[in-house]
Amino acid sequence: MTAHKYGFLIDASRCIDCRACLVACSAENNVSMKHTRIWIKDTGIVGEFPDLKHYTAPYHCMHCTDPACVSACTVGALQQNEDGIVTYDNDRCIGCRYCMYACPFEVPYFEWDKQFALITKCDFCISRLEEGQAEPACAATCPTDAIQFGSREEMLALARERIKNEPGRYVDHVFGEHENGGTSTFFISPVPFEQLGFPTTERTESSARFNREVTEIGTPIIASAVALGMTGIYLALKPKTGKHAAEKTEHTEEKTAQAQEE
Amino acid sequence: MAINVKIKSIKLLQGLPRFAYLLAVLTALGMSASLYRLYAGLGDTTNMSTVFPWGLWISFDLTTVAFAGAAFTLAALVYIFHMHDLHAAVRPTVLFGLLGYGSVLVILFFDLGRWDRFWHFLVYPNLSSALFEVSWCIAIYTTILIYEFSPVLLEKTKYKKLLGFIEKITIPMVIAGITFSSMHQSSLGSLFVIMEPRLHPLWYSIIQPEFFLLSSLAAGISTIIIGSFVSIKLFGKTLEQKMIEKLGRLMPWILGLYLVIKVGELAFAGELDLLFTSGMLSVLFLAEMILGVIIPAVLFSIRKIRTSRVASLVAALFVAAGILLNRFDATWFAIKKLNGESYFPSWIEIALLVGVASGVLLVYTLAAHFFPVFSETLNARSLSEANAGASQPAHTPAGD
Repeated sequence: MTAHKYGFLIDASRCIDCRACLVACSAENNVSMKHTRIWIKDTGIVGEFPDLKHYTAPYHCMHCTDPACVSACTVGALQQNEDGIVTYDNDRCIGCRYCMYACPFEVPYFEWDKQFALITKCDFCISRLEEGQAEPACAATCPTDAIQFGSREEMLALARERIKNEPGRYVDHVFGEHENGGTSTFFISPVPFEQLGFPTTERTESSARFNREVTEIGTPIIASAVALGMTGIYLALKPKTGKHAAEKTEHTEEKTAQAQEE
Repeated sequence: MAINVKIKSIKLLQGLPRFAYLLAVLTALGMSASLYRLYAGLGDTTNMSTVFPWGLWISFDLTTVAFAGAAFTLAALVYIFHMHDLHAAVRPTVLFGLLGYGSVLVILFFDLGRWDRFWHFLVYPNLSSALFEVSWCIAIYTTILIYEFSPVLLEKTKYKKLLGFIEKITIPMVIAGITFSSMHQSSLGSLFVIMEPRLHPLWYSIIQPEFFLLSSLAAGISTIIIGSFVSIKLFGKTLEQKMIEKLGRLMPWILGLYLVIKVGELAFAGELDLLFTSGMLSVLFLAEMILGVIIPAVLFSIRKIRTSRVASLVAALFVAAGILLNRFDATWFAIKKLNGESYFPSWIEIALLVGVASGVLLVYTLAAHFFPVFSETLNARSLSEANAGASQPAHTPAGD
């Protein structure tokens, strides 16, 4: 029925904060370590001495099923592929930064320090996948399999299975299953996602839908209502020719009088 | 010869108001700030950040577009609703609109990370993007404003043959202008529909487009009233009080409708409690509603206030303050802070803004000096007569 969709599963309980994924992303995408498309969310130190904990999770673009950024992008630089990957065309982007406000997951990053600045964002290492490599760089590098890559269904099933098998290890929440209408990146975690600093949302519909309602339905309605309304009112209120003509002459007379004054 | 030309140009500048030179200095300072911004990038020159990717410039853009709504509001009243006695205000207002949009386009240019690609919106459409709609409608509407202003420039040149043609297509052009204005005024509100996670619920609404469109009408009328006052001081020209009274009569209707929908929307969403529980944001929202909507709606419904020049000005200033606050709230103050990070503009952001604003005001002054912008308006000297005229009952029933 639907095309094959890629997916990620990121397991915070497996992350050891080694940041090899950041290095891999930097090397693969030829970006500085400051501009990697993956970064670490963490809880800080939690718990009571001596039972202290520090949870971390790598975090990158969620690749929403109905991405708000794609709907918002002024020039269509952000697009969604059939396989669910949200791509970014850096030859089109004008750097307006609307996607940064549109994204409910606070993902797009702007190159503030550059003279000609663009957005940076994870694209599933699409060029690697197109070359026939099995995984994006971060997933291939992760030493503890905290980042796993596969089909969306597989990853979602795996997330549920892990929670089911070890309910003590995870909170019962697959982040990304319903958030913003569902995504292609799933997270499971030993602590609630707020604690990891994830943007929490209760909305299970993408804000892209509301956006389309106003831009693709609302605006054309307003436009046609105004155009027709104005034409109608103009014709309805148009004074009878005689009176109008009288006004016009008066108007011209005024003008001539003024011209003479000058 | 050269000396002759020099003397001529000095003569041309005679009578130019003195503040024009101050504007020129501020424009030059702003231009240096803008060159530095292009050289150094946005990170070094602005205080915008990942948490606040838009700043003062966007707040200014939205506010200016609302006030520049004066041009389409007036065009509708004069040409569509046939309130021809408002015609005298058309030229000054169209010029204000044109330069308002001009300043917005210039600021937007400096706001882009890749300003060298500003034209991309023309060739890479994304029909579901509110910002795409805004860009296109502003581009088209600015062109229409140039058309609407062109007779002023052509009148005394050899191209005045064109005037006949220009006048012939007035009505279709005006209707197109009103349509594209309504589209981008409302699309500026649409911008926020996708920003639900970031915008405070007192301002977030799926009918934000309608709020922005309606408030741009009030902003437009207040601009014309304030402008008629400012132009006395600056150019010695103004509008008859009778016309200001007529414009004022529309205000209670527009503001009243705005208030009803706004409160109704909050009630419908079950968010009325936020009016009192959101701390500083409640204060800002109530200030918008009370100072910017309720008070001026009451003031403008009183005939004595509408017929008084100063009282009308005060009432219009309330509306303008409310609009300013509303646009700044929606783009800045009511944006949810993340990680405790807040935003305040850098001095370069402020300098560039002041420079661009001064630049367009300078162009306005020069245009008013060299072209017949105020040809139909009253001389301020004959003001007292006009006031005497306005206090008599109006002869023509218009509007109500």
